[in-house]
Amino acid sequence: MRTIGLAVTLLLGATLAGGLAAQAVQPRLDQRVSPEVQRAVQVIAADAMAHGLPVEPLVQKAIEGAAKGVPNDRVIAAVRALAGRLGESMAAVREAGVAAPGGDVVEGGADALNAGFSGGQVSDLVRVSRPPHDPALTLRVAATLAALGVPTKQALQLVQGTISANRSPSDLLGLPGQVQAGVAQGATPAQAAAGLARAAGGTPPGRLPDWVPPGQQKPKNPHKP
Amino acid sequence: MTTGYHPLVKRLLDGELSLAELPPELRAEGEEALRLAGAADRAPVALSPALEERVMATVRRHAASPGNRAWRWLNTPRDVELRLRVRPWTVWAGALAAAAALALLLGRPAPEPVPGAQARGDMRDSVLVRFVLYAPGAHRVAVAGTFNQWDRAAAPLVPAGTSGVWTTTLALPAGQHQYAFVVDGARWVVDPGAPAVNDGFGRRNSIVAVTAPGAHL
Repeated sequence: MRTIGLAVTLLLGATLAGGLAAQAVQPRLDQRVSPEVQRAVQVIAADAMAHGLPVEPLVQKAIEGAAKGVPNDRVIAAVRALAGRLGESMAAVREAGVAAPGGDVVEGGADALNAGFSGGQVSDLVRVSRPPHDPALTLRVAATLAALGVPTKQALQLVQGTISANRSPSDLLGLPGQVQAGVAQGATPAQAAAGLARAAGGTPPGRLPDWVPPGQQKPKNPHKP
Repeated sequence: MTTGYHPLVKRLLDGELSLAELPPELRAEGEEALRLAGAADRAPVALSPALEERVMATVRRHAASPGNRAWRWLNTPRDVELRLRVRPWTVWAGALAAAAALALLLGRPAPEPVPGAQARGDMRDSVLVRFVLYAPGAHRVAVAGTFNQWDRAAAPLVPAGTSGVWTTTLALPAGQHQYAFVVDGARWVVDPGAPAVNDGFGRRNSIVAVTAPGAHL
C-alpha cells in the first residue's frame, strides 16, 4: 500500500511537470520543428523542468536545428546534450554556493562547458563574480575568450584578474574584443590575453608579479644590467 | 375609467369615505361610480378555451428541451456517500507534489540576489550592431541568431554596391548572442571576423558581445 502510494505520488508529480513543460514548450515549437522533434523536446524539457533547469535554451536549440535543416535525430541529440550540459552547469553553480541559480546563470555555465571549461572552472567563475558582476555575464565572457582560442585556464585568470581589479561589467564584456584586436595585430590569443591580464592590474591571482604565460619570454628589466 | 371623477368620489371608491360623507352635490356621481365599479367586479372573466392549451403546450416544450433536462440533472440534489481510506503521509506527499507543480507553473525559481543586478539592468539596453559579410556572387544574405529565433528571413543584409560586401545594422540588447549568416537561403556561414563555438550540430556559431557603449565583433 505504501509503495503504491509513493508511486502514485511520484507519477502525479511527474505528470504535472510533464504537462507544464508541454504547455511551456509546445507553442514555441509549433510549425517551427517537426512533430517528432516536438515530441522529443517536450519529454526532454519536462525532465529538465523537473530538475529546475531552464527550458528556453532547449527550445532555442531545437528551433536553431530546424532552421538549419539539421536531420531530426541530430536535433534531438543536440537538445539532449544541451540538457546534460545544463544539468552539469547547475551542479557546478550550486557547488559555488548559489543554492537556486537563475536560468541565465545556468545557461551561461552550459555555454562555458561547451567552450571547454571544466565544472570546477565554472564554479570558480561563479565564485569570483561579486557585485556588480553578474555570474551569467562572467561565464559568457569566459566562454567567448575560450572560443577565441584563449586557453581556458588563462581565460579564467584573465576574468578573475579583471574582476579583482574592480573593472566594470562593460570592461569585462569588452575583453573578447580586446583579445581580437590583439590577434589582429599579430599576437596569439594567449599572448593577447596575457597582455590584457597585465594591463588589468598585473598578474593573475596566485602568480608572482613578473609571471608570463608559458612559452613567452619575460620582458627584460631595464634597471638590471 | 376614473379619470373624470372628483377626488372625493375617488376616495369613496377606495373605501376611505362613505357615501353619506360625500357632499350632497357629489352623491349622485358617487352612486354612479359605485354602481359601475360593482358591475365591473362581478363581470365574469371569459378566457379563450385555446389559451390554456397553448400555454401548457409551451410549458411542456420548454421542460422537454435537452438544456433544461441537463440543468435539472445537474441541479437536483443527490445523496452521495464517499469513504476514503488514506494514510496521512500520502496526503502530505500529494499536497507537496501539487505545491511543487504550482511553483513550476508560476515560473522558474527566483534567482538569488546575486551580484550584477545593475549589470543585468545595463544588459537590457539595445545597441546598434553592424553585421558585414563578404560574399561575392551571393544573391541573398541574411543574419539569423538567438536574437531573432534563428529566422532566416528576419534580418536580410543589403549589398554595398557591387563589391560583394553585404551589410545590415540591427538593434541588439547588450549581452552575448550567437548567430550565423545565411547565404542564398540555404548556406549557413560563420562570421570570419568573430569568435565561434560549436553549435551542437557539427557546425559553428559566431558570437557577438554587445556592450552598452558599442559592439565588439
